[in-house]
Amino acid sequence: MRPFEFIKPDSEASAIELLGKLSPNVRILAGGTDYLVDLKHTADVPKTVMDISRLPELKGIDEVDDGLRIGAGVTHTEIMQNPLIKKYAPAMIHAAHTIGAVQTRNLGTIGGNLVTCVPSMDSGPTLVALDAEVNIVGKDGTRRISLTDLFVGPRKTSLKSNELLTEIIIPKRSLGKPANFYKFGLRKGQALALVNAASSLWIKGGCFKDLRISIGAVAPVVIRCLKAEKYLEGKKIDEKLVKEAGNIAVTEAKPIDDFRASQSYRNDLIAVLVTRTINAAIDLADKD
Amino acid sequence: MADNREITIKVNGKDMTTYVETRLSLGDVLREHFHLTGTHLGCEHGVCGACTVVVDGEPIRSCLMLGVQAHGKEVTTVEGLSKGEDLHPIQEAFWKNHGLQCGYCTPGFLTTLFSFLENNSDPTEREIREAISGNICRCTGYQNIVNAALDAAKVMKGS
Ligand SMILES: Cc1cc2nc3c(=O)[nH]c(=O)nc-3n(C[C@H](O)[C@H](O)[C@H](O)COP(=O)(O)OP(=O)(O)OC[C@H]3O[C@@H](n4cnc5c(N)ncnc54)[C@H](O)[C@@H]3O)c2cc1C
Ligand code: FES
Ligand code: FES
Repeated sequence: MRPFEFIKPDSEASAIELLGKLSPNVRILAGGTDYLVDLKHTADVPKTVMDISRLPELKGIDEVDDGLRIGAGVTHTEIMQNPLIKKYAPAMIHAAHTIGAVQTRNLGTIGGNLVTCVPSMDSGPTLVALDAEVNIVGKDGTRRISLTDLFVGPRKTSLKSNELLTEIIIPKRSLGKPANFYKFGLRKGQALALVNAASSLWIKGGCFKDLRISIGAVAPVVIRCLKAEKYLEGKKIDEKLVKEAGNIAVTEAKPIDDFRASQSYRNDLIAVLVTRTINAAIDLADKD
Repeated sequence: MADNREITIKVNGKDMTTYVETRLSLGDVLREHFHLTGTHLGCEHGVCGACTVVVDGEPIRSCLMLGVQAHGKEVTTVEGLSKGEDLHPIQEAFWKNHGLQCGYCTPGFLTTLFSFLENNSDPTEREIREAISGNICRCTGYQNIVNAALDAAKVMKGS
C-alpha cells in the first residue's frame, strides 16, 4: 500500500469541514472492508484518508418522526442485533447475516456497503423494497434523496467527493411492512450473490397493495422491477400471477455472463427469487 | 508522503506503544512492531481469516484494519489465550482432536472460536460451522476443528 496522510475527526461537523477543505484529495474510510482491499491494489492513493469509523453521529438506530433512522456507520453485526430493526424491518437482519463472515460484519458498515455500490451489495434490495431514503451532508447543508437515486452505476454513486452519507431512513409507511430477502450465491459462506432479491407488500381485501420488488447483481445497480410491480398491484393474491411477475422481472434485468454463472442461469434465478420473496412476504402479511 | 504516528494499543492486557506508518495494517503492526508473530497473514484481502484477532471483544480481520485505527483499543491475539504454559481449553481441544495440520490457519480459528465460545456456552455443531465460516483451512477438512470446538465448549461450560 502506498503512503497517505491519516486523519480522524471526532465529530460529523469537523468531518464535513475537512472534506470541504481537502476534497478531491481525500477519501473516506469507514470499516475498511471494501476500501482497504482497494487501496492494496491501486497506485491511485489519495493524499489523505479520513477515518469516520468512530464518529458518534453516524452510529445508532433510532425511531424518529418520519420513520427509522439508521446511522451510516452502523455495522452489519449491529443491524443483526438491534431490537428496532427486528421489530420494524426484520428482513434487514437476514440480509445483513448473508454479508461476508462474522469478522467482516463486525467491521463493515451499512453506509460503506451502499457507497461502494457494487451491483451485488446485499443491503441494497431490502432497503430499496422498503422505499429507503438517505441523508447526505456537505458543506452547503443536508439533502435527502431516495436510495435508488444514490446508485448511478457499478461502483459509482451520486455522492460528491466533499459529501458524507450520514444516515438511512426507512419511512414510517414501510415500518413493519411484510418483506423478505433472498440471496443466492455459489456457497453458503462468504460468496457474492449471483442474484439477490427482496420484496415487500401489504395485502388489502385479498389484493396486493404497495408491492415493491428489488433485485441485485443483475444490472449495473440494484434496481426496482417496476413492470412486475405494476403487473401485480391491486390484483387478487394468486400463485400463478406471482409466477408471471417473476418472468416479467427477468425482462427488466440485464445480467452478465461470466465464470460464476451464465446469463441464462441468472435469468432463471431472477424468476425464482422474485417469486419466492413475494410468496414469503405474502406468508408474513395479515390477510384481511 | 509517508505519515507516521505514535499509537498505543492494549495487547493481551498490556499497553504497547509504537511509532508506525499510517498505511500499515494492524496485522503487520502486531507482527513487525510487537513481534507477536502468532497472528498469521494469509490472503491479506479479508477472505481467509488467518489474521483474525479480537478487538474490543469482537473478532475482526487484522489485515483490514489499519494499525492507527486500533489506537486506544484492546486487542487479544493468539498469544493472549494461554496462561503461561497452561493452554486455553480451546487450544487443548485442538491438540487432543488433531484440529490442525500445517497450523497456518490455526491462530485465526482459535481467536474466532475464543470469542464465539465466550458468548455461546452451549453451541450446536451448526452454530460452530457458521461461526468459523470466515476461516479457511486447506488441510484438515474442518471436521476435527468442529470436534475440537464442541469439546472446548463442554470444558469451558464446566469451568
Ligand atoms: C471477505 C469479504 C466478504 C464480503 N462479503 C460481502 C457480501 O457477502 N455482501 C456484500 O454486500 N458485501 C460484502 N463484502 C463487502 C463489504 O464488507 C461491505 O460492502 C461493507 O459493508 C463495506 O463497508 P465498510 O464500512 O467496510 O466500507 P469502507 O471499506 O470503509 O468504505 C467503502 C466505500 O464507501 C465510502 N464510504 C464509507 N462510508 C461512507 C459514508 N458514510 N459517506 C460517504 N462515503 C462512505 C468509502 O470512501 C469507500 O469508497 C465483503 C468484503 C470482504 C472483505
Ligand atoms: S490475511 Fe486477513 S483475512 Fe486473510
Ligand atoms: S491446518 Fe493447514 S491450513 Fe489449516
